[in-house]
Amino acid sequence: MAQTAQSLNPARPPEAGHSVKRYTGLMDWITTVDHKKIAILYLWAGGFFFGIGGLEAILIRIQLIKPMNTFLDAQTFNELITMHGTTMIFLGVMPVIFALMNAVIPLQIGARDVAFPFLNALGFWTFLFGGLLLNLSWVMGGAPDAGWTSYTPLSSTTYSATHGVDFYTIGLQIAGLGTLIGGINFLATIITMRAPGMSYMRMPMFAWTTFITSAIILFAFPAITVGLVLLTFDRILEANFFNPATGGNPVLWQHIFWIFGHPEVYILILPAFGIISEVIPTFSRKRLFGYSSMVFATILIAFLGFMVWAHHMFTTGLGPVANALFSVSTMLIAVPTGIKIFNWLFTMWGGQVRFTTPNLFAVGFIPTFTMGGVTGVMLASAPADFQFHDTYFVVAHFHYVIVGGLVLGLFAGLHYWWPKMFGRMLSETLGKWTFWTFIIGFHLTFFVQHFLGLMGMQRRVFTYLPNQQFDTLNLVSTIGAGLMGVGMLIFLWNIFITSRKPADAADDPWEDGRTLEWTIPSPPPEYNFKQTPLVRGIDAFWKEKLAGHKSMTPSEPVGSIHMPSATILPFVMSVGIFIAGLGFMFSRDTFGSEVLSFLFNNYIVTGLGLVITFGSMLMRSLFDDHGWHIEPEELEGR
Amino acid sequence: MATEQHSQEGGVKHRHRHEGPQRHIVVFVFSVLLTLLAFAAVAAGGVNATFAVILLLVMAALQVVLQMGFWMHLKDKGHLLPIVFMLGGFFIAGTCIVMALYWVWWD
Repeated sequence: MAQTAQSLNPARPPEAGHSVKRYTGLMDWITTVDHKKIAILYLWAGGFFFGIGGLEAILIRIQLIKPMNTFLDAQTFNELITMHGTTMIFLGVMPVIFALMNAVIPLQIGARDVAFPFLNALGFWTFLFGGLLLNLSWVMGGAPDAGWTSYTPLSSTTYSATHGVDFYTIGLQIAGLGTLIGGINFLATIITMRAPGMSYMRMPMFAWTTFITSAIILFAFPAITVGLVLLTFDRILEANFFNPATGGNPVLWQHIFWIFGHPEVYILILPAFGIISEVIPTFSRKRLFGYSSMVFATILIAFLGFMVWAHHMFTTGLGPVANALFSVSTMLIAVPTGIKIFNWLFTMWGGQVRFTTPNLFAVGFIPTFTMGGVTGVMLASAPADFQFHDTYFVVAHFHYVIVGGLVLGLFAGLHYWWPKMFGRMLSETLGKWTFWTFIIGFHLTFFVQHFLGLMGMQRRVFTYLPNQQFDTLNLVSTIGAGLMGVGMLIFLWNIFITSRKPADAADDPWEDGRTLEWTIPSPPPEYNFKQTPLVRGIDAFWKEKLAGHKSMTPSEPVGSIHMPSATILPFVMSVGIFIAGLGFMFSRDTFGSEVLSFLFNNYIVTGLGLVITFGSMLMRSLFDDHGWHIEPEELEGR
Repeated sequence: MATEQHSQEGGVKHRHRHEGPQRHIVVFVFSVLLTLLAFAAVAAGGVNATFAVILLLVMAALQVVLQMGFWMHLKDKGHLLPIVFMLGGFFIAGTCIVMALYWVWWD
């Protein structure tokens, strides 16, 4: 598949001409391996889960609107907070990040697709089925209720007797497989498929952050994979990894979880940094200030991100030396992050700044994220953390960096690249309404939570007593959450009315596009670039514009373009893993019906799922698919 | 510099010359010898246990280097990125091992 990068394939067999299967409708979406369509799938699926996570957040805030509220009971509340965190991080924002990466990265580096289009589809479908499995828990005996961190022993069968946490371990395992596949795919794509002339130090910043993010995924996800396997074995096969009574150690889970979990927050925020680094130069009509220091800062953040995990565990009793070391390494991260903040400010300095919707979100991002960073440094101080730990101060902190950082960044990116993805400009008026309602709602919701935390309100409590000074601030917080919901609804309305307009966006709809994705039609044709462009410097398109050119210099003659074939195998493989996971989860249960007991207790359901998955792999290996070609005549005809 | 870097990566395939099997055979024999030595050190019985463990670990590390360098081509030109990512992997794995030993096993 890697040869999709080169349009000319001299070893092409003559019969590979046009025996191409083309599907329409639903089958087209299920079988697609086109990165642009997979991006849209990621966006809809991620948006769907984001909506579920948002509804859970609203329910949580309604419960906390007044003291001693009885809107939800404690068990439901625990399930809601667990699923809100898990859904938002793994199934909401990460897929939307992958949506933007898929939509933009091949275009930005001048490639015709990702390195492994088949794997790209597989990554999406495993994520989707993992996410569906996790959310099935709501209707199959109760959702996970041990928090998104799922600390042992709370998540052991002793304290979580239902299948909730099994849905968590198996669902996340399957979804995590998709993330790992996606990460490896983007590493290979960026290393091998950059257009001629695009050296590493000429890559757009979003391509850089995607590259580094993918590297973090590659190194961090194995840790959670192992952790989830150990927890699954503890729960289903009665292993004792985290059971102190039999020689296990519950703190081991915390270590494994945070060795993954802390890099995970950089997996989330670095793409947002990349988006902001694209949007701000475009709407300042200036090149990014300090490009090489931005690259350096990104790499440094990724590196340091692996050495700070124990700051989540200051109160577990690691001892003063370890606490001091992890304090210092955590505070160090503020240095490269600060470099980035100043670089964005200096990019705007003296630029011709246009406050379009994407730029509003980007400019709103800077102070909001900085506030989250400042509370991060406060939390990094171990003695202070003993006071802050498990209070609403922590809740406020991580919502400032994730919502105020990542989600604002995603909004900026979605508004910015929407015309490239769908060929239609989102309404600027509604976009500005989205921005103002969302950001005001956001600060109303979470700014007051700092003070709730400092006054002693603990996180994860389902209610609180009156007259502890918590009442008013919680009311304000809930009103803010409602306002954020209104902002989301305006965004959805914007998408809806935009989808009914004609797809007439220009190639370069913002008129100041700097990178390669703005040199091709919106939305791009399935082969992206008729001729692979020649990159002559950083901000390749802007450089051509300055030289008075209307388009890029091609690096090759018009020739036939090799395309990957559509296939349903990734979908089938993911269905297989889904069935296997579900079968394994219930393998020790007693069922009313004998048939069910027979099927599940003898691992027949699990086996069937694995046969489907591995059978599909075998099919993929045995039957070669050489793809198909688009001929130059067709290119001219379009 | 930029174009140099690119052509370096793109051109590796063509400049790669075949070294013939000699070196691989030498490495293979050496690996087998290392393995035999490891078994012999334990089977002989006379070796101090601590010394045997250290010896085995050193020989294991040597095996890893040989495998990576020769059979996985990390010694060849144009393998900077695989080496960087390998080292990254070793670093993270090492972190996990230190964590597990220092805070979980011996604690």
